[in-house]
Amino acid sequence: MNKLWNKLKRWFIEMGSPPLFYNWSSKIIPWLGLLTLLVLLIGLYWGLFVAPMDYKQGDVYRIIYIHVPSAILGESIFIFMAICGFINVIWRAKISGMMLKAAAPIGMSFTLLVLVTGSVWGKPTWGTWWVWDARLTSTLILFFIYAALIGLHSTIEDKTKADRAVSILSIVGVAIIPVIKKSVDWWQTLHQPSTFTITSSPSMSPDMYIPLLVCLIGFYLFFAYMLTLNLRNVVIERESSKNWVKHVMDQESK
Amino acid sequence: MHGSISGWLTIILKRDLLIAFRKSSTYITPLVFFLIVVTFFPLALGPQESLLSSLAPGVIWIAALLASLLAVETIFSDDFRDGTLDEFFISLEPSFILVFAKVLIHWLITGLPILFASLVAAIVLYLPFESFIPMLLSLILGTSFMSLLGALGAALSLGRSAILSAIIVLPFSIPTLLMGTSVISSSITNQDFSGFLMIMGAMLAIGIPLLCLLTVEALLLNYE
Repeated sequence: MNKLWNKLKRWFIEMGSPPLFYNWSSKIIPWLGLLTLLVLLIGLYWGLFVAPMDYKQGDVYRIIYIHVPSAILGESIFIFMAICGFINVIWRAKISGMMLKAAAPIGMSFTLLVLVTGSVWGKPTWGTWWVWDARLTSTLILFFIYAALIGLHSTIEDKTKADRAVSILSIVGVAIIPVIKKSVDWWQTLHQPSTFTITSSPSMSPDMYIPLLVCLIGFYLFFAYMLTLNLRNVVIERESSKNWVKHVMDQESK
Repeated sequence: MHGSISGWLTIILKRDLLIAFRKSSTYITPLVFFLIVVTFFPLALGPQESLLSSLAPGVIWIAALLASLLAVETIFSDDFRDGTLDEFFISLEPSFILVFAKVLIHWLITGLPILFASLVAAIVLYLPFESFIPMLLSLILGTSFMSLLGALGAALSLGRSAILSAIIVLPFSIPTLLMGTSVISSSITNQDFSGFLMIMGAMLAIGIPLLCLLTVEALLLNYE
């Protein structure tokens, strides 16, 4: 047990080095991609075709299999970014800054997806594309904060400094996450309460709930896959003057 | 007096207030900007009393937010350009005090004038007289928080385009806007507004240590 822990610690520290991370990720990427594809296909097929119809909403409710996972992802990616930012500000770990940079566009896309699928779902069920309700508005603010982070990063020439600046801002921005999470409990809203809670059993029936869980795992895997791909690009771009990049490029072009 | 924290605080406050006082545009610009923005609403929406008094909380708060963001990039830019900021960082311990003093100065030259101007705005927008005190309380807490946020935005965008700091800060100012307008509108309808004020106070209490420290960190980015 202790040996495994030491091995894990060693791996974690090694991943802080760009060339070691790059080599490791080259090996892991095809497998991760395959696994993501498999889980996502199972989850989506199960949710969209096999799961029973909702007695009130009919087939419309099936958008939940996209909407809820992307909402959870949009928020968790921000928390992930804030943790990266915290590590970057305190320990000046370069790779965590790059991770922040690589994760931001993915998180922003998921947040956009939540807003779009939400309004597509809102039209047939609530009768309107958009309401100024607490959950929707706080998610929109999250989207703007993502935009501010990405905008700030692109204006600073020195990319290491840009990473640190964005890290600082992401620590402030993470305050929005509990507000989004609690918005359905604190205010009277049109939006329904949380689907997933850790403390109590779900109100949905298991044959709708389990495919949703599979979709969620699939979305997380997809994030891990995209993050690895993105991070590889960022690492190569930042370290382009280093010898190991030249070496890697020579080998890959052979 | 030299060396102690309060000593440093008074030195920076005296110096910056003197600079601001000699250059009157620093404290007059936000004031005039605030009043002009407020004037636009009756002109654009029509002068009906019922409409304006129901819109007044939002109008006053939007104008206050924009006006307090107007002078944000000047918080550090002058001192950064002429090297005073470098001197402060070399001789000042802890540098937290510098940021805190700068935030205080920014509030004194933008937040405070806006408080006075908001009384004029409240009268011309037909805000009920009972709501004046809640409005002032919410503005005191809210504009102080905006100065803190503005300092962080200014530090992050130091030496870059002036509009950048406003764009960085605006999404983060939405909670202040929501709470501030809620205070005024619930006071109009005779509801309890102390909860909103408490949240604003809590944001300020967390913001002073956290945002000042992060601002120091952001300023240090320029000295590497």
